[in-house]
Amino acid sequence: MANVLDLRRRIRSVKNTRQITKAMKMVSAAKLRRAQEHAMQARPYARMLTNVLQSLVRRTDLFNEQTGEIMHPLLVEREEKSVLVLVIAGDKGFAGGFNSNIGKAAQRFIDERRANGQNIDLEPIGKKAIGLFKKRFPMAVYEHTEELYDNDLSKHIENIRHRAAPIEVAAEHPTLLAKTDFEDVSALANSIISRYEGAEIDAVYIVYNEFKSVISQRVVVEKLLPIRKLGAHPVTVIEEMTEEQKEAAGKAAQESGVSINEPEESAAEREAKKFGTADVDYLFDQSPERLFRHLMPRYITTEIFHALLESIAAEHAARMTATDAATKNAGELIDKLSLTMNRVRQAAITKEIIEIVSGAAAL
Amino acid sequence: MADVGNNSGLLKVRLVTPDRVLLDATAETVELPSMSGYLEALYGAAPLLAELGAGEVRLHGGSSGEQTFFVAWGFVEVLPECVTILAETALHPEEIDQNEAEAELRHGAELWDQAGDDQSKYDEANAVTRVAEEKLASLAGKH
Repeated sequence: MANVLDLRRRIRSVKNTRQITKAMKMVSAAKLRRAQEHAMQARPYARMLTNVLQSLVRRTDLFNEQTGEIMHPLLVEREEKSVLVLVIAGDKGFAGGFNSNIGKAAQRFIDERRANGQNIDLEPIGKKAIGLFKKRFPMAVYEHTEELYDNDLSKHIENIRHRAAPIEVAAEHPTLLAKTDFEDVSALANSIISRYEGAEIDAVYIVYNEFKSVISQRVVVEKLLPIRKLGAHPVTVIEEMTEEQKEAAGKAAQESGVSINEPEESAAEREAKKFGTADVDYLFDQSPERLFRHLMPRYITTEIFHALLESIAAEHAARMTATDAATKNAGELIDKLSLTMNRVRQAAITKEIIEIVSGAAAL
Repeated sequence: MADVGNNSGLLKVRLVTPDRVLLDATAETVELPSMSGYLEALYGAAPLLAELGAGEVRLHGGSSGEQTFFVAWGFVEVLPECVTILAETALHPEEIDQNEAEAELRHGAELWDQAGDDQSKYDEANAVTRVAEEKLASLAGKH
């Protein structure tokens, strides 16, 4: 049996761990609150953009007269031969099953698509996702060519992709989560759009953790392109929270003062819903068709931005729940160890008394 | 003129960026850098939807006082009593970094040189250059 000194040392160490996990929980709760707020504040813009697009669709002659379909490169559906999958996970670990759940969901999706004979490009976002997929799949190879012409005054640069394997990591985005800068997301969206328009890829999906509130989260695969319906999020749910998880998350949230309800619609959001939908005849400064074409890429950007913000909130929520559980476990362990330590100490005392008593009896 | 609900004679102005609602105020007039040139919205204006290019949104009068924002790309809805601006980036002119703007200008020129025979690349280079030029102009207070 372990001696008292060892046990005391262990208890001290577990107590230190508990303190750390407790602090981590507090930090995650604070970050979660901020992330939730950020996601809320981003809603009016997204809402307004969607509204304008919807009202433009009604006003423009983007329809094909024979089929009644809207004509825009991003709405064109093709047979899905090459698929781009964006996977959003976290930058750091210690978040329970957050990163591995997304990894598993993405892998399952990839396997499914691969079984249909489709080529897959992966673009992991967040350091954990990058680490996971770079280990499993090769990076895409690009041939960089530069050509000078016009008496060396102009340069033509082209990056040609050579596909070596059916599943490749096309690009990685390690800094997107930390900064969540709209301009960076915009650059990513534009690169995706140009690849889609160039028929390099035939569909785009995002795998991420959707976040409505602490107790309402799920890992989903969302179809980003081609767009079927503006403002709709066609998702396939891969994994929902179990009741147990919900309960644990709910408790952790309540203890750290994070609301478990979905935040209420803000006044700005209600106003945003009316944007571009007033019952009047608008004058158009530019032709609606042109506006529509200029707004579409922004729509894709806000969709990715939205997924990023939700994933960030989900990551903090997962970390809060995980560290809360760790804190509780540490508490239980301390109780158990204290009990054992007391027993060991008592046993030693009893042993000593017995020795004294039997020594005295032997006299 | 369409029905006007409030009679204050002031426009309600909102400036929304992807991150948040940046400004919610009232103004007498708003100058907007539309794609086809600057336009000014007054109280009771006819409903209008317009795309904004790079330039300054300027508010005059009302609760906002004189305020200026630099926008790189945006979209505006003008209603008789309210103006809502969607802007991808909105900066106060003093927030513009001169060095950064100059670097962007050079980057624009570089893109132009490398565009080859691709029209869309020229358009992109033009857009970058225009934003950088407008930023510098805004800094210099030329408008």
